[in-house]
Amino acid sequence: MSITPSHYQLTVTALQWLSADTFELRFDRPEGFSYEPGQKIGFRHQDVYRDYTLLGPPQAPELAICARRLDQGRFTPLLAAARPGDRFEVSAPSGYFTFQSASRPAVFIASGTGITPFVAFTRAGVRGFELLHGARAAAELYYSRELAPAARRYVPCLSAEPSARTYPLTFHGHVTQYLAQALPAGIYDFYLCGPGDMIREAIQIIDARFDGSRVFSELFY
Amino acid sequence: MSIYTRTGDQGKTSLFSGERLYKDNIRVRAYGEVDELNAVVGLLAAVLPAGCDETARQLARIQSDLFHVGGWLAAVPGSEARQRLTAITPEFSGRIETWIDAMQNHLPELKVFILPGGHPGAAQAHVARTVGRRAERAVIALVRQEETAQADPSLSAVVMFLNRLSDYFFVLARYLNKKAGVPDTSWNS
Repeated sequence: MSITPSHYQLTVTALQWLSADTFELRFDRPEGFSYEPGQKIGFRHQDVYRDYTLLGPPQAPELAICARRLDQGRFTPLLAAARPGDRFEVSAPSGYFTFQSASRPAVFIASGTGITPFVAFTRAGVRGFELLHGARAAAELYYSRELAPAARRYVPCLSAEPSARTYPLTFHGHVTQYLAQALPAGIYDFYLCGPGDMIREAIQIIDARFDGSRVFSELFY
Repeated sequence: MSIYTRTGDQGKTSLFSGERLYKDNIRVRAYGEVDELNAVVGLLAAVLPAGCDETARQLARIQSDLFHVGGWLAAVPGSEARQRLTAITPEFSGRIETWIDAMQNHLPELKVFILPGGHPGAAQAHVARTVGRRAERAVIALVRQEETAQADPSLSAVVMFLNRLSDYFFVLARYLNKKAGVPDTSWNS
């Protein structure tokens, strides 16, 4: 009988900055490490615990996460300073924010680094979804080049860059404004990932405008 | 990390399988009652008399199983979410029956009604029994509603488990009183 470990030691292989404050961190994949697209791992540093979604694809020889460095943060400055060879203890992959196939159209809604589970879904082969990708500016539309071709409709929602038009369907405003004003009425499977305020507002709109839809959500803090 | 998300402030909640339901929905009520039962079992475990290690292990297993039951009730039949959960099977209640039989071997036959109470652990076991009955009634209400909508045969194992659990808590109350040297009080009608 094999026993799945509750923790793993991950060794950093590379750190790549995606913007001035957001980076992708890659690790060697420990033997026997497996996960479902959308699952996360938990980092522990002293009394601080932080979860990060694995980007995938699940069969890749390396593991990768994406994080935003917060200058006043208690953990991300440490993560952002990581060098190849550094080791971190992480919890085994966990979480239920995974894609569930259905006949209803899927609408993914992300803001900021909340895009990461949708990158994982896409890298696992999920296609045909509508993605409302929220960011302040076009430069923060991380992974858009691989997400846009996989989506049936890719809608960047830029909240602080009113003139940018990187993609044809660019919407100027928050993802929740698009949801309230522009998404056609219907019954969908909504997948939400982002800060609590966005998720709360989105769910209120979904309850009001898209009765009968299903909602799967993942908060980050 | 904040415990409150405020996403339920409008009176609805999301099932594990994604559906949005009002919190007084019969399915939400059913897993809420199971959750309450689990909390009551936690309190029972905290007030056990000394020397009840085996009972403590049983209660820990029951709490884990009740988590499985709650998750099962929080996903609709046929959903992909259910496929990721531990299915509730007759083995859940079979385990309880074994424990009941073992305790009854140590107890005299009961020929009168007894008042719920005695040692704090026994009194709490009676609370667990009655809360368990309420959870069972809630699940039966869900079963009866599902019969007219989307049949869910797996719920029969849930009902069986909850039914057996209440029997277990009744016997456990007597067992704990005996272990603590507190006599059961007969009902004198």
